[in-house]
Amino acid sequence: MKELEKTKRISIAATLFILAVLIGFLTYKRPKNTYAFNTKSTLEKITSTDYFLPYSLIENEDVAFIDIRNPYEYNKGHLENAINIPSVDIMSEASQKLLQDLKKSNTPTSLYGSTPEEANIPFLILYQLGFDNLKILPVELSYSQNKLITKESKTETLPHDINGFIMDSQKHLDSSNTIVPPTADVPKKVITVEKKKKRKAEGGC
Amino acid sequence: MDKKKTVKFLSYRYQILAATLIILAAGLVLLPKYEKQEGIRSKQLLSHAISPERYISTDDISHKLISQDPSFILVDVRDEESYNNYSLPNAINIPLSKLLDEDSLTYLNQDQFDVVFYSNDTFHADQAWMLCDRLGFKNLHVLQGGLNTWYSTIINPSKPSEAMPESDFKLYATRKAASMYFGVAYPDQNLGAELPSAPSTPKKVITVEKKKKRKAEGGC
Repeated sequence: MKELEKTKRISIAATLFILAVLIGFLTYKRPKNTYAFNTKSTLEKITSTDYFLPYSLIENEDVAFIDIRNPYEYNKGHLENAINIPSVDIMSEASQKLLQDLKKSNTPTSLYGSTPEEANIPFLILYQLGFDNLKILPVELSYSQNKLITKESKTETLPHDINGFIMDSQKHLDSSNTIVPPTADVPKKVITVEKKKKRKAEGGC
Repeated sequence: MDKKKTVKFLSYRYQILAATLIILAAGLVLLPKYEKQEGIRSKQLLSHAISPERYISTDDISHKLISQDPSFILVDVRDEESYNNYSLPNAINIPLSKLLDEDSLTYLNQDQFDVVFYSNDTFHADQAWMLCDRLGFKNLHVLQGGLNTWYSTIINPSKPSEAMPESDFKLYATRKAASMYFGVAYPDQNLGAELPSAPSTPKKVITVEKKKKRKAEGGC
């Protein structure tokens, strides 16, 4: 009799265990919007490849343009055939599905905002989520009499030679005054940051 | 008859239970691969990225530089050549491609200094900001408008026209004084004794305090 009790308990425990596992299976949910690339590979990509769409393709009908400005701006004026996905909504289910479809169908897709800097943020986030087919349209938008004006925009250019400007201003002064103004000589700040030592392996059992 | 069947069935009950467990274990293998995610969640990253809080204005930075605020590090993410040609005072150069090198991380992954990224505009600085923010680093900022805005507001501020409000004139005066500090000379400036003499503060050596190592925690 005692023996029977014991086996009964084992059976009950095993059944409960299986039930628990089954419940786990049924309620398993895939986490949404997971990164597909880590920071290292993202950095490698953004420093080595050209993610700008050539500006000449701005009127190309094969390219899917995505306007990342807010709906108000979008309604004021947008590129022809552009789809509006405000950068706040890039992770919503609908826009993710749309982007997935575009990626699957191999359609060249390009983001744009009122400046390339504005499109940079959603571009980089979407890239890290796995949309490596996206490009940025280097465009600057402005309005003139309620008409949208597009202009090619270059990023990371420095049109002014700052050092030259400072030198020039001093030279100019030199010739007229002969007194050399002492330029503020900012003391060099030496920043030494201690390297973090790797923590020793914590003891296990 | 029925009883006999159940008894027969029950005699196999262990085998049945064991078989079910094995099938479930096999099911685990078929689960979709789920890589461990590096850094903060993507939703969080987005909400950080679209808030304009990360920008710091050129006026703020020039004020901090002039008052020799020791609490921040300027990080120039342009290439070495541009850095050597012109850089902000005391900036360190971490080209974007070397952002995640171990040497760079010691500057970026610490909580003592505010880190201010800048490039010619905000394009590369934003990218550097985003990658570091994803890794969970603290106190990251981007110089608003980058060096181009730095040039147009601090180095070469435009003179306000007469119709503009007084506050603009005050701002212009501040910026002009700041530009003199950064080396720009004006033909109408009062040369003589009261020229802002070069600040003769001693060299500052900033050392980041060592994070105390946690002692190895014992196991069981």
